[in-house]
Amino acid sequence: MSVEARTGVSADITPHVEIERREVGMPTPLVGMLLFIASEVMFFGGLFAAYFNARATFPGPWRPPEPAHELEILPLALPLTIILVASSFTMQFGVWAIRRGDQPALRRWTAITLLLGITFLAGQLYDYSILGFGISDGVFGTVFYTLTGFHGAHVFGGAVGLTILLARAMQGQFSARNHVAVEAVSMYWHFVDVVWIALFTTLYILK
Amino acid sequence: MATTTLIPKAEAYSRSWVIEWLTTVDHKKIGILYIVNSFLFFFAAGILALVIRSELAIPGLQFVDEATYNQAFTMHGTIMIFLFIVPVLSGFANYVVPLMLGAPDMAFPRINALSFWLLPLGGGLIFAGYLFGGAAAEGWTLYPPLSNDTYSQGVGTDLWLIGLTLVGTASILGSVNFIATIFKMRAPGMSLFRMPIFVWTVLVTATLILLATPVLTAGMIALFIDRNYGGSFFDPTTGGNPVLWQHIFWFFGHPEVYIVILPAMGVVSEILPVFSRKPLFGYRAFVFATIGIGLLSFSVWAHHMFATGQVALPFFAFMTAMIGVPTGVKMFNWMATLWRGSISFTTPMLFAIGFISMFLIGGISGVMLASPPMDFHLHDTYFVVAHLHYVFFGGSVFGVFAATYFWFPKMTGRRLNERLGKVHFWIHFIGFNLAFFPMHPLGISGMPRRIADYAADPIWMFWNAVSTVGAFMIAVSIIPFLINVVATLINGERVGDDPWEANTLEWATTSPPPPYNFDRLPPIRSERPVFDLRHKHDAEHLAAEGLAPTRGEA
Amino acid sequence: MGRIQAEPWLRRMGRTALPLLMVVALAGCGMIPPEPETEGGRAVFSLYNIVFAMGLAVFIGVEGFILYSVFRYRRRDDRLPQQLHGNNLVEIIWTAIPTVIVLILFTLSMIALGQVEARSENPGVEIEVEGFQWQWTFRYLDDDGDPANDYTVTGTPANPPVMAVPVGEPVRLILRSDDVVHSFYVPQFLIKRDVVPVPEGQEPNIMEFTVTEEGTYAGQCAEFCGNLHADMTFSVEAMSRQAFDEWLAAGRAGETPAPSAEPEGQVVEVTADQIRFEPLELRAPADQPWTLRFTNAESVVHNVVIYDAENNEVFRSGDLTGPDATGDFAVPALPAGEYTFICEYHPVPDMTGTLIVE
Repeated sequence: MSVEARTGVSADITPHVEIERREVGMPTPLVGMLLFIASEVMFFGGLFAAYFNARATFPGPWRPPEPAHELEILPLALPLTIILVASSFTMQFGVWAIRRGDQPALRRWTAITLLLGITFLAGQLYDYSILGFGISDGVFGTVFYTLTGFHGAHVFGGAVGLTILLARAMQGQFSARNHVAVEAVSMYWHFVDVVWIALFTTLYILK
Repeated sequence: MATTTLIPKAEAYSRSWVIEWLTTVDHKKIGILYIVNSFLFFFAAGILALVIRSELAIPGLQFVDEATYNQAFTMHGTIMIFLFIVPVLSGFANYVVPLMLGAPDMAFPRINALSFWLLPLGGGLIFAGYLFGGAAAEGWTLYPPLSNDTYSQGVGTDLWLIGLTLVGTASILGSVNFIATIFKMRAPGMSLFRMPIFVWTVLVTATLILLATPVLTAGMIALFIDRNYGGSFFDPTTGGNPVLWQHIFWFFGHPEVYIVILPAMGVVSEILPVFSRKPLFGYRAFVFATIGIGLLSFSVWAHHMFATGQVALPFFAFMTAMIGVPTGVKMFNWMATLWRGSISFTTPMLFAIGFISMFLIGGISGVMLASPPMDFHLHDTYFVVAHLHYVFFGGSVFGVFAATYFWFPKMTGRRLNERLGKVHFWIHFIGFNLAFFPMHPLGISGMPRRIADYAADPIWMFWNAVSTVGAFMIAVSIIPFLINVVATLINGERVGDDPWEANTLEWATTSPPPPYNFDRLPPIRSERPVFDLRHKHDAEHLAAEGLAPTRGEA
Repeated sequence: MGRIQAEPWLRRMGRTALPLLMVVALAGCGMIPPEPETEGGRAVFSLYNIVFAMGLAVFIGVEGFILYSVFRYRRRDDRLPQQLHGNNLVEIIWTAIPTVIVLILFTLSMIALGQVEARSENPGVEIEVEGFQWQWTFRYLDDDGDPANDYTVTGTPANPPVMAVPVGEPVRLILRSDDVVHSFYVPQFLIKRDVVPVPEGQEPNIMEFTVTEEGTYAGQCAEFCGNLHADMTFSVEAMSRQAFDEWLAAGRAGETPAPSAEPEGQVVEVTADQIRFEPLELRAPADQPWTLRFTNAESVVHNVVIYDAENNEVFRSGDLTGPDATGDFAVPALPAGEYTFICEYHPVPDMTGTLIVE
């Protein structure tokens, strides 16, 4: 007696359900992006925990090592923050545009967002060059450069994503129905923005 | 995703099997790659274990010097955990989860391939330390300051950090994939509470990986910065805090323990019902216990640090004791599943029963270690080594072998020889207990772990000798297993699609399954759709299950 | 007829079962910790025994149930057993059972913890314990506040140190480390505590115990700390107060300041840094006294001991603890030949050099 006959599975699989798959709810790539962002939140959570632990156990005043100046929100940090926050808005205008099917507007807003992101990165690099302390200058230097550096790396990653998005938008690959990549990159870009707001608050405001 | 167009020319399309396996994005092939790759690392780390046990057979240094010994146990722990147990369970999950859900593949097949290929790369980097002046030698926990650039100068530690970051990234990507698959790819009718328990455990495991691993990544990057760019995260001489690393490491490391054990629990929870011919007792309770373990696992990390004198003992002792509760519930559920069943002793069943009886010992010693005063005595002794091997080896590895014997017919269409399988099980089981049970009395009498040499105390000498014999028995037990795998692949018994009379959807397609898994699916009305199908003419059964045929089917 | 002879099969079984039973019995005995010799240790000991008994009961109950089930309910025919999906009442009960067990365990643990962690107002003796790669320094603190008057014992891997303590008095240890994490562990006290290098301004760990029985108790570092971790052994010798005072006085009298000399003859330099001698090969003139200028660049103790080809000690420098401590040590005239010099505290390849006298 064959196994099929004995167990009665394969030979007798009727009634069949036609495998009919309809996607309901959030598109799978966006679910993936959200999950990835969750892991990134934990990554920055680890770095922030290291920051607060270092700050709590640090003997002496919590500030950049002498002779460097204390961190100031002007002239650089606050404008850079405004630039990055603004870029989140321009990104979202792009998303809304493509949801309406407005391809030229998507291209315009993506280009502006990319430009703002690059400006932020350039400003950050310039800031590094004038701060007057380095990563090996005590705990403060280490946590400052690690946190801002990894945030910068994420901005860079976002900028790469935006560049690809722009190239694809130039070829008219997105439409009102089909633009999941735009949504995914915008989620990531907003996340990077939120991390910066948390960083800015921690480093420059809660001194 | 909704439509698949068959190109007529597809039949003419062919490529060499090497290219096919190197570039595959099919979850079943990737699953097999995971499993084979993991077993290779298992054998490598097993050889390191034999080096350790040989050195410890009698007091004095006979075979290796301290430096070699320290590298051996560091690499043994690292490889076994990160490149054997976690990925091998991921491999089974990769193969089985889409099948169990009635899905054609994982949600992101190409990311799936990427997360596999990062593993041999990361593992190779970790091992490459041996080629560049010595592998990492600070224990798999890599505590600074011992692991900083002053006390561990070799490049081995940097390679360990880079390699493990890659492996960690691979498992993060893998867990994104699993969660997305489970939430988005289930077949019609497969509601969350009809998913097989194994899928539930994979879901919770993936969530733990997703949330715990990035924290370790952050810590490893911080340590890398300390070592290479003059950072001071963990360096007390420049104001850093070495205990911070321990917090970060165990914040990851304790969920990691559950990452390792939960899927094995899932495997056992699939196998026990099949060979008891009963459903799992208390399906929902089991699901909630799994979720409970997942949640609690984030609040117990500091029980690894009781002896540091820098943690809130009552809080962590309480949370750690509480995590024993859901684990106890699972134990009762397994026991009740066996109760009044119709039990057949196949090899997978033997390994599953071995799992619950050995994991029990690990669970009891774990509860003992959760008590801070007792931990002050037992911490960092061989008692901890015994405990973790009863959990990782008596638990997870038994689960891995149970899964191998259980799903081998699914993957190949051939069943592993049962007689050889039983020989394997019994040598393995006895060897395991000889190797690791003596570590309890060793630890209780005060033998610290991670020492290359020990005092010539007659009791210590006796138990160490027994343990070494046991370790070699485990190694011997692998021989019938390997012979079995090779012989079965060449000339094994062909057993059809569903040799075990199993319950879940992976058995509702051919063995091995076609590239996109299913042409058709049986109706899914419970967590045992294939069981329901097999017994669908059994009106009594259907009525009892509340599954009377619907109008269209009658 | 003599004694009743057992059936042969029974004897055969006895012969095979006996060693097995012995192993089981031994394992049973091994599962109880060593008889504690401190007050805190007793609290842990009784807690351990209660918890172990509970664990044993759970183990026997569960394994018994599993064994019974798998034999009693073997598959005998093709009939399907009753498909039992669960039972809410049963599940509530068996959620409650482990909850109660772990709550009892937790409560008992907290009570014992209070006893283990108790701190006395006036410890009988206060010892600063410094763990370093790879041995211990015990510094007996006195009340005058001048570190120079403290009696210090430093061990070497070949010659582990002894910590003498008075019986029946609380002993307080201040656990310090300047390099990596170590752990101070005496199994017969059923306690250990990590020796953590802390940043400036943070308090080191404190540990207290009161030994109840005179005797010598072996101890060992329990936190992996590098190559010679296994050699970080020591012993605690508990003695009467009088014997302890005599031991301390004798120790103080026997202490000799590190030998130092005016440079005489040729000066040979060697530096210890990061547990490594630089250079690893020294050259000195034969048959005339010379001076060893020994620099220790790090905060770990080092010394230089010279052995001849027959492994006899021919010279020993004083101990130096850096950073940047330098001492000149007069070396007596040595006949030409090859010698070995080594740091007694770190007998590793990087601190084992060759001295060529020519």
